[in-house]
Formats: sequence, structure tokens, C-alpha cells
Amino acid sequence: MAPPKTYRCEAVILGYAPLNEADLLVTVFTRDQGKVRAVGKGARRSTSKLVGHLEPLTTVKMSMVHGRSIDIISQAEVINSFSTLKEDLTGIAKGLYLAEMLTGFGAEASPNPDLFQLMIDTLRIIEADPGSEMALRYFEYHLLGVSGLMPELYHCVECRDELEPGAHRFSPNLGGTLCLECGPEDAHLRPLSLRALKVLRLLDRSQLADACKLTIDDNLSYELKSLLSTTVTYWLGNEIRSNSFLEHLRNETLPEVYI
Amino acid sequence: MTQENISGASPSLSRLVQELNRLPGIGPKSAQRLAYYIIRLPDDDAYALADAVTSVKLNIIFCEECQNLTDASPCQVCSDPRRDRTTICVVEDPLDVLAMERTRSYRGLYHVLHGVISPINGVGPDQLKLKELFNRLSRVDISEMVVATNPTLEGEATAMYIRRHQGRDDIKITHLARGLPVGGSLEYTDETTLTRAFQGRQEI
Repeated sequence: MAPPKTYRCEAVILGYAPLNEADLLVTVFTRDQGKVRAVGKGARRSTSKLVGHLEPLTTVKMSMVHGRSIDIISQAEVINSFSTLKEDLTGIAKGLYLAEMLTGFGAEASPNPDLFQLMIDTLRIIEADPGSEMALRYFEYHLLGVSGLMPELYHCVECRDELEPGAHRFSPNLGGTLCLECGPEDAHLRPLSLRALKVLRLLDRSQLADACKLTIDDNLSYELKSLLSTTVTYWLGNEIRSNSFLEHLRNETLPEVYI
Repeated sequence: MTQENISGASPSLSRLVQELNRLPGIGPKSAQRLAYYIIRLPDDDAYALADAVTSVKLNIIFCEECQNLTDASPCQVCSDPRRDRTTICVVEDPLDVLAMERTRSYRGLYHVLHGVISPINGVGPDQLKLKELFNRLSRVDISEMVVATNPTLEGEATAMYIRRHQGRDDIKITHLARGLPVGGSLEYTDETTLTRAFQGRQEI
């Protein structure tokens, strides 16, 4: 029996690009089908019934039609537009950072409901508190986890001994933490402080909302940001471009009139 | 597949197909169709097309004031004494200036950003004409800046960035009204647009 021509799905919009005269090539991450690229016919016209429903960082209910080479979006209805998040520049930058990582890690025709839920939950947290850096760290850590790349935090990945309290090293390439005695040749090897290891273990065991209550100093925050984004970049195979705008916002100094 | 893979195609025709294929939205088949159309054009028409392409590359520059594309700087709009010099409308693209001019309802000046902040595509504030905008704002006497970026996520992010960095507290900063398009339908309108349309309702 031929598969049905149409299907419904719940999806988060990750991005789009113009296509032809008035179409959009939309990238979405669905709860049940994984990443999907589909065409919104006429979606760039102001009177299109799809306009406003396909903005990035929006969750939607969609009806799709299987096309010969690419699916067609026949209907889309907003479930949550995260409108408060979109009123904050840092919130938008963080949301797009998540969307870019999800675009990179999400696979087509490979359902991953946990990853879908992680995205929705993280967007909710950032909407409530756009300043939250821990939400990004939680997302990065669990993105690796639900993609089958969970870093080892309790045993040395080389000698398999249980890690003693103290400073260690970390290698994305070897899959996690190493004790100081093991010194394999690895260009990606980097130091890992005991405090950073403890926070990573907390991210591992906690729920998102609980992890985001943790406050840490700037040095530790920088170490975790550097370690996790390096690991994500390593597995992605390319830089996360939206990270540079996020860094720009973190480092910017505002004109005196707004201080 | 490009024409150079087809045996028997002339090198000059292959080159034309390849060059047309590099244009946005033009695939290999469209490039071949356009190339054969150009071959069949009368000589004068084909040379006029080539001359237009050469001339636009030789003569078009950025206006020193508004950064729009122009043959002479300052551009026609910036040098027109009848324009209202107290208002600047910030747009994403030169085509947006043409769209605004078609309305005949705006008589102020423009500033063209040549894009929007698009972090996923690696476009940050430094790749846009934002520095030129902020320099301009620091030296001209205006009363209002209309930020007319598109009501998309990236357009809104760009508008927020401008709002945060423009550095003046003595000018009114506005954006275009949000709401229902003429010919639109309430039934298919998303909640954000409908909320904004409701907030901006007008007495009839």
C-alpha cells in the first residue's frame, strides 16, 4: 500500500530561505519525523495564509504533503510564538544559537522526540530569563546526550578508572574526561577544573529548571562555555556562526544614555 | 550539469551558461534557456543588455549619505531640497526604497542597511551599513527615525539593535505599523499579528 500523501506534525521552525519568486524553503524540527525541509508555496506574499506562522523559534502544527523531491507545507498554525523571547535581543540571539545547533545535529527522517522537547523547554527558560547562560550549557550538554555523544564524566575514558576529586583533562575526540596520569596524543585535550566537572555532573543529573537556578562565577562560566561549545563544534564539524553575534552582545558596551 | 559537459557546445556559449547559472534562482536548465534566448536576440538588444551590465558595475556607487545605490553621490533623494530632512527612514534593501517611494506618502530621507542581522548566516552588525547610520545620526539634525525593517525575526532583531545603539535620546524612534494586510483574512492570521492589529486599531 502506498504511504499517505499527507501527514500532520508538530514542529519548531529553525529557519528559512527565499525560494523562487515568493516561496520559502523552511527548515523545521518535528517531534515525530526529526528534521524536515519543506516548501511554503507563496509564503513570502503578505496575504499568504502561511505568513506569520513560519517565523523561526515558533512551534506550529503543520500539515504537509509528500512531494516528489521535497515536502510541501499545506497548512501551519502557531502553537507558541515565544513572543516575549522575541522582544529581547539577547533572547533572539540565544534562540537562534539553539536553532543553529539543532539544525546541525538534527537528522532528516530520524525521529528524536527528546531533542524536540529539549528545544521547547530551553526556549521557555530563555523566554522567562534571557540572561540565563546555564540554559545554553544544559542544552549543549544534553544535545550531545540525546545525539548519542554523551561525554563520560565519572571514569577516565583511557584507563577506565573512577575519577578521583581533583583537576582532570577533557577531550571531545576521546569522548570525555581523562585522569592526569593518562596522556594520550590528542590535539583536542584541554584542562578541566574540578569545579567545572562538578557543574557538568549537575547538568547531567538535574532537570533543566533546577540546573538554571545554579549561579556560578564568571571564570567558571567561561570554562564551561568554552568546553561545551568546543565539544559541540567538534562533533558538528564546523563553527556555530550565530555564536559570534552572541559574543558581540555579551561584550558590547551600550551608549551612556541607556546605562 | 553545465554546458561544458555537453560535447559539441561552443566554448563561448558554455561560458555564458556558466555565468548565468551563477545568478540567484537560475538553475542549469534556466541558464541554458536564457543563453539560447540571448543568442536569438537582435544584435542591438543583446549589446544593450551587455552594456547595461557593464555600465551598472562601472557607475553604481554607494550614496555617501544614505548608502543607497546611485550613479552620483549624494543621490537624487539626498540632494532634493524638497525632501523633509528631519526624518530618516531606515530600510533593509535598495528595493525597499523603491517600494516606499511608490506609496508617495513619505517625503523624508532614507538610510539603506544592505541586509539585516542574521546570526545563522554569519551576518552581524559589522557587515551592515550600521556604523554609517550611527555616524550620520551623530552629525545631522533630525527629529524622527523610522525603522522600516521587515517584520521578521531578523528584521526585528536589527531594529532592536539600532534602538539600543543609536545613542540619541532627543529623537523619536518609530517603526511601521504591524497588522493585517489589505486582502488578508482574520481566520489565517497568526496570533502575534492579530494582537498587534488589535493594539493598533483605529476609529472609523
